[in-house]
Amino acid sequence: LTFFFLWVCTMQHVEALEVLLQGLSGVPKERVRVHELCLKSVPMLGAVPSEVRLLCDLAQPTPSWTIRHVGGAMRGAGAEQISILVRTIVESKASSNVLRYFYGIGYKLDHEILKVGFAFRFQRGAQFTVTVTSANKMPKLHATDEAVQVTPGIQLVEITAPAAANNYNDVVSAVTSFCEYLAPLLHLSKPGNSTGIVPTAGAAAASLMSSGGAKTL
Amino acid sequence: MDAAAAPGAAAGGQQQQQPAPPRAERLNGEVQSQLNLEGMRARAVGLYKAISRILEDFDAIARVNPSGSPKWQDVLGQFSMVSMELFNIVEDIKKVNKGFVVYPRNVNAENAAILPVMLSSKLLPEMEVEETTKREQLLSGITNLPVPSQMEKLKARIDMIANACETAERVIAECRKTHGLGARQGANLGPMLDKAQAAKIQEQESLLRAAVNYGEGLRVSGDQRQMHSSLPSHLMEVLATGDGAHNFGDNSGAYPKNTPAFSPNNVNAQGNPMQASGGQLLGRSAPSPGTAGTPNFENVSTPPMPYANSPRSGTNMMNTPSPQQHLTPQQQRQKLMQASQQQQQQLRPSAAGMLAQSSVPQLQDLQGQAQQKVQVAGQQQMQYSQAQALSQFQNRQMQAARMQPGMSQSQLNQGNQLRSHLGQFTGAANSAMFTAAQASSNSQMMANIPGTMQTMQSQSMMPQMQFGLTGGHPQRSHQMMTDQMYGMGGANTTSMMGMQMQQQQQQQQQGLYGNMQGGGQSLQQQGMVGLQNQQQNQMQGGGQSLQQQGMVGLQNQQQNQMQNQMQNQMQNQLQNQMPNPNFSQQRQQNQQ
Repeated sequence: LTFFFLWVCTMQHVEALEVLLQGLSGVPKERVRVHELCLKSVPMLGAVPSEVRLLCDLAQPTPSWTIRHVGGAMRGAGAEQISILVRTIVESKASSNVLRYFYGIGYKLDHEILKVGFAFRFQRGAQFTVTVTSANKMPKLHATDEAVQVTPGIQLVEITAPAAANNYNDVVSAVTSFCEYLAPLLHLSKPGNSTGIVPTAGAAAASLMSSGGAKTL
Repeated sequence: MDAAAAPGAAAGGQQQQQPAPPRAERLNGEVQSQLNLEGMRARAVGLYKAISRILEDFDAIARVNPSGSPKWQDVLGQFSMVSMELFNIVEDIKKVNKGFVVYPRNVNAENAAILPVMLSSKLLPEMEVEETTKREQLLSGITNLPVPSQMEKLKARIDMIANACETAERVIAECRKTHGLGARQGANLGPMLDKAQAAKIQEQESLLRAAVNYGEGLRVSGDQRQMHSSLPSHLMEVLATGDGAHNFGDNSGAYPKNTPAFSPNNVNAQGNPMQASGGQLLGRSAPSPGTAGTPNFENVSTPPMPYANSPRSGTNMMNTPSPQQHLTPQQQRQKLMQASQQQQQQLRPSAAGMLAQSSVPQLQDLQGQAQQKVQVAGQQQMQYSQAQALSQFQNRQMQAARMQPGMSQSQLNQGNQLRSHLGQFTGAANSAMFTAAQASSNSQMMANIPGTMQTMQSQSMMPQMQFGLTGGHPQRSHQMMTDQMYGMGGANTTSMMGMQMQQQQQQQQQGLYGNMQGGGQSLQQQGMVGLQNQQQNQMQGGGQSLQQQGMVGLQNQQQNQMQNQMQNQMQNQLQNQMPNPNFSQQRQQNQQ
């Protein structure tokens, strides 16, 4: 199962973005609070280190764990043209023993991160998941209550959509067109590239926040 | 929406309604550069859908609760979005209006009457009247002057008005600020970011990206990683805080023996954690034969690194193997045989290193352990076991080649993922596993593919091969099944173990399992030997059993250095690099 990942942009006008997404999606937002542990395999376990991420969803009353393995990204000329990063991702739900399990087979904790924010899941040509979170690091191991923002004031916006090998073109176009809607507020780019601030972000945010911002047509 | 749609439609119409010559018209180059027609259309369609969705929502709310009203906050938000988008579209079209002409496309009775009115650019009579009156008002004083001076005067008036507007806006903005009303969208957008700020923001952004994508800045040094006294609740139960002796990520040589309390901190590959987790996680009684098995292992050279459950003869192998794991090979085998398909076995990464030269008595054990759980959605289980382990075995005493049945079917979606995972493990060994994925739509190849070809250092052959099969569920092709065992005796390298079993008929009882005996038989490299497995795996002697039961297909797509030839009996079934389709045919042929 491959997932599309159109990466990030960072922006400061979180509330405005929330209004915008709410308007675009038509669904209520969901709270997101995920403790992500990134485990890497030890070098002796193989020629190539492998990395797996365990996500613990803390937003629900009972935490639920998910294992995610991120595969290589699609490469090649086609990939360059698409403005979205296409990666193979395998996800699976797991029991709470998963961390112990991975430690047991030799993985080590590489880093952990706490993501707090909100998300919207909706269908718009593809099953979208738009997540706006602030990334937090924990000064002490696993101390999720003491997490501190890595970059205060800047949040991460991720847009992902799953696709299969044969329909990914459609998903690409759906995601790209969706991102155009967000253009006034933020720029999105593939994970490797940085984007900067959109000059109209301030105005767009203001218009979204204020009641109306009517323009004459 | 009409205005926006019309030019779009018109352009389309223009292009399509050329009567005789069917050539497609191209938009004027300049227009094309300024207007992305496709994008425009997509936006228009999107907008249309959004609006209709909003209307539907309203309807739904009205239906459900006749007196209810939608939440106006949301509605306004959506509306503002929609209107913003519409505005943008119209703006874009206005830029290139000149390049288009409205050409009526769908003329029928009801349209015909009103079309001329809609298309005319002449003002309606009332509008005309209005316009003339306004013009008179404007030019009242100066119509007698020559035209240029009229223009100048008008310009002056315009400037004055513009100034007035500007001052007014400024005043309003200041008042707003003082009253804290927030900026309204307007001409003045607030101070633009200066360079320093922009640079800072850029830097922060890259920090954030690095942190999230790669974990930069989040790594904590070893000493800071001591377990925190108060764990968050979701980790409390997961991480035992018992023995703190383990460091994070260290590979000290210490091989903890008997640590029943598993310390999760210990991330080394030291056997211990495995068992406990194995017990819990595997959820199956038998599956990790590996842990138990070692007793028979002899001559294992000390592996460079401690390995979980590696059959190291010197050190104890088992740190208190959990009860389930106290199996003799026979028992193991049986258990494995009966194992449910759903076991998930863990792949033991790199057993390779360790097992350098050793007799491989307990191959299976290793294999059982050498599995890494691959997370795949749905039920997929992969087993890799012996594959890697074998690579270095030199086994003289392959007693009953134990096989590691771990055939659970795993379904690999796109083999790639696995491959990457597994790739690491192999080292010398190969994972034939992936083949299934590549086999793509070979619906008949159902997984259970045990084994991979391994390069064995031992030279001799595999005395017996056993394949454990677990009845699979019929699943779609990509299943990867792994492993098995190989009874490789002696020196020969490469036992090949990629067996691809088909699971479709699980009712068949013919156990086929490769017991290949005899010296010097190792599967031919790249042979595809598909073993058809049925539930019970009976190790019986001889390739004969194999032959009868048909398809032995080994699918090995990675380099496999199998040097030995398979048993004669098997030879006819083997073809090098059998493509999957053939495989199925053969299977059918061989089926009885």
